[in-house]
Amino acid sequence: MLKLEQVSKTYGNKNEKAVDNISFEVRPGEIFGFVGPNGAGKTTTIKMIVSLLAPNSGKITINGIDNQQDILGAKKQFSYVPDTPELFEKIKGIEYLKFMADVYQVPASERQERIEKYLDIFEIKDAINDPIGSFSHGMKQKLALVGALIHNPQVFILDEPMVGLDPKASFELKKIMRDHCDSGRSVFFSTHVLDVAEKICDRIAIIKKGKLIEVGTMDEIRKKAGSQESLENIFLELTE
Amino acid sequence: MKEIISLTRLFINESLGVSLFFYNQKYNKKEFYKQLFTLIIVPVALIPAYFMYISVMTATYFGLSMINQSSVFLSIGYIIATVLILVFGVMYVLSEFYFSDNIEELIPLPISQRKLIVAKFFSILAFEYIFAGLIFIPVLVIYGIGQGMGPLYGLLAFFVFLTIPVLPLSLVTAVIMFIMQSASLKGRKDMIQIVFVFLGVAAIFGLQIWFSSQLGSGDEVDFQLLMNTMLTSNEGFLNIIGYIMPSSFLMAWALNKITLMSFAWVAVLLGITFFSCALMVAIGERVYIKSIVSGKVIKKGKRLSGDARSKALTRKSHGAMAIFIMDLRLLMRTPVYFFNNISVVIIAPLCILLSFSFIEIPADDLQGIQNFFREMPVLVNFLLIAFFIFFGGTTATTATTFSREGKTSWLTRMIPVTAKDQILGRTGVAVLIQSLGIVFSIIAVQFFFPLALSTLLLTIILGLLGSLPILLFGLFMDMNRPLLNWDNPQKAIKNNMNVVITLFVGMAYTGLLIGISGLLGYFVNALLGYGLFTVISLGFSVVFYQVISKRLEVEMLNFE
Repeated sequence: MLKLEQVSKTYGNKNEKAVDNISFEVRPGEIFGFVGPNGAGKTTTIKMIVSLLAPNSGKITINGIDNQQDILGAKKQFSYVPDTPELFEKIKGIEYLKFMADVYQVPASERQERIEKYLDIFEIKDAINDPIGSFSHGMKQKLALVGALIHNPQVFILDEPMVGLDPKASFELKKIMRDHCDSGRSVFFSTHVLDVAEKICDRIAIIKKGKLIEVGTMDEIRKKAGSQESLENIFLELTE
Repeated sequence: MKEIISLTRLFINESLGVSLFFYNQKYNKKEFYKQLFTLIIVPVALIPAYFMYISVMTATYFGLSMINQSSVFLSIGYIIATVLILVFGVMYVLSEFYFSDNIEELIPLPISQRKLIVAKFFSILAFEYIFAGLIFIPVLVIYGIGQGMGPLYGLLAFFVFLTIPVLPLSLVTAVIMFIMQSASLKGRKDMIQIVFVFLGVAAIFGLQIWFSSQLGSGDEVDFQLLMNTMLTSNEGFLNIIGYIMPSSFLMAWALNKITLMSFAWVAVLLGITFFSCALMVAIGERVYIKSIVSGKVIKKGKRLSGDARSKALTRKSHGAMAIFIMDLRLLMRTPVYFFNNISVVIIAPLCILLSFSFIEIPADDLQGIQNFFREMPVLVNFLLIAFFIFFGGTTATTATTFSREGKTSWLTRMIPVTAKDQILGRTGVAVLIQSLGIVFSIIAVQFFFPLALSTLLLTIILGLLGSLPILLFGLFMDMNRPLLNWDNPQKAIKNNMNVVITLFVGMAYTGLLIGISGLLGYFVNALLGYGLFTVISLGFSVVFYQVISKRLEVEMLNFE
């Protein structure tokens, strides 16, 4: 469903690769966790997947569509919520959601049903007519999540989704992620919260200094590490 | 004092992006050369205009000398500098004190309000000194050389120069702080900024009209008396000007002739300046942080019922329309954008209307203009077309369309909207603004020079068509070099070279297009002139449209 093949990215300094020749695949129905220390290349990888950055080399396909060859076609396959969702501060919540529904061409009947459902889940129905500038960080995060779920994407991509969410919203989001995958779609997300990754991910990839150092299920990672310890301990050992 | 200096440096660094500039020099060469190019090209491009200003001021000095009014020269320069500082000061003060993000980080730190206010004021002052220097130093030098002044004049002129930006800026800052703390304005800071800017423009324009009417409305006897006074008394005109800006009296008394009293007048000027600054700080200490905290309260909307939500959400819009509405909303609701992109379509027609209303045109002159219009319709039509293109070329709407989104641009780059829809939506906003300018101008002109429907249709259609290549060129520029990294929306417009480039290219293009088509229309055949105009405009529009639609999706990948 989401496939990266030998993807690399360098910024200003050509000798230092932010992402170095990484390959992995996210299968249908799978929650895929992407973990790594600060500056390891997680956000750069995600930005290349969601067409915010062009890789220097390699290929990224989303639902079989190459995101360099058919940028627009690929964009229709996913939705993305960044770690700090910067939204238009002068726009009202409801205007933002209508905009998202319009650009993803969501049919009138579906958009209302979905929006109402997620507004209820994240408890922001009362704030929906306020300017986004008046929202707290967590509320902006919730609004960005509702906006991203409007078109029921094939691949749901999130960068540090739990940061800023209250415990209930965090719990609800994990449930949404699981339901999303149970319907045959996929979730790809980065996180620093290793407990969450360990509990909800079907498979996990660990990235360090731009290189992928481990990919697999929790059992596979434990097996390779020769340890029955938690993901946190294995992560610390691998990234030392 | 150390803390104030350090804070001032921090604010100046933040405004200019000095640290980022040196970071780019090391790690991001491409961005560094872009910034370097801007740093060099903008001053170089302004050199001709600056020489023109100095020439005009020199000619003014000699002109005034010939009618025995050289003493008024310094006052004219003083007033020009002060008025410009006042106009730009409003935006700078609002930006630095109320719309800059740094205040939220600084409030929790153990820094006294006084130090924060003084440092912010100093950081604005640093820019205003450069600005005031460019305007007023040539005036001081021309007068000094012309009058054969000595070193004492130089010393006193230096002290006078030091006071120039402080007095108007202190007053502006104090007034703004006073208004912003008003409880009844809570949550309406955007509206306040727009009102402030329009009040500033209205004040200047009103002053100009009043001044023109004062000079032009007197009967022959009064005019004769005025001329006599001006020719016989060296300070006749100076007194008239002094009423507009009383502090200009002190400056003039100090510098026009250097006597012992000059030192006293400079001391008084310095004293008043210091007092105004102290007063501003005292007001600020009482109200500044309080108004910041209350200003953060954003006016909330009404709670929506299920029906209202359903009504709002189920109206489906096309992708181009969604982009159009979002872009328009951002323009209308962000004061800096509103003023820079939209206000011209209100101010320019208003200027036309007020000018014609206040300035009496003699019946013979009016008849002459109407005859000219009847005899040379082709030239008049092309002049009207050029005027209508002016609204398209000056709005800078497309030249900043991506830049205005700043950090939120990730959203519009991530959504699956075709290049065609992006172009239609974003250019559509610019065309709408231009159309408003055209409609308002026609309404203003129609009172005095009624135009035939065929003339209106022809000039409106060709005016809109002629500006399309400029609008698309602006979009092309902003697609290639968007300015997304800003902490204050003013920077998306003011620090954006795309605006300047589009303006210059647009003006040159319009001049050539109107010139060639107009000459062809006037000397050969009117239809040929309009035809050539249409073909060139359509040709360039199609070329830019094709280039943008082919490159936009790929360029969006290179925005950061």
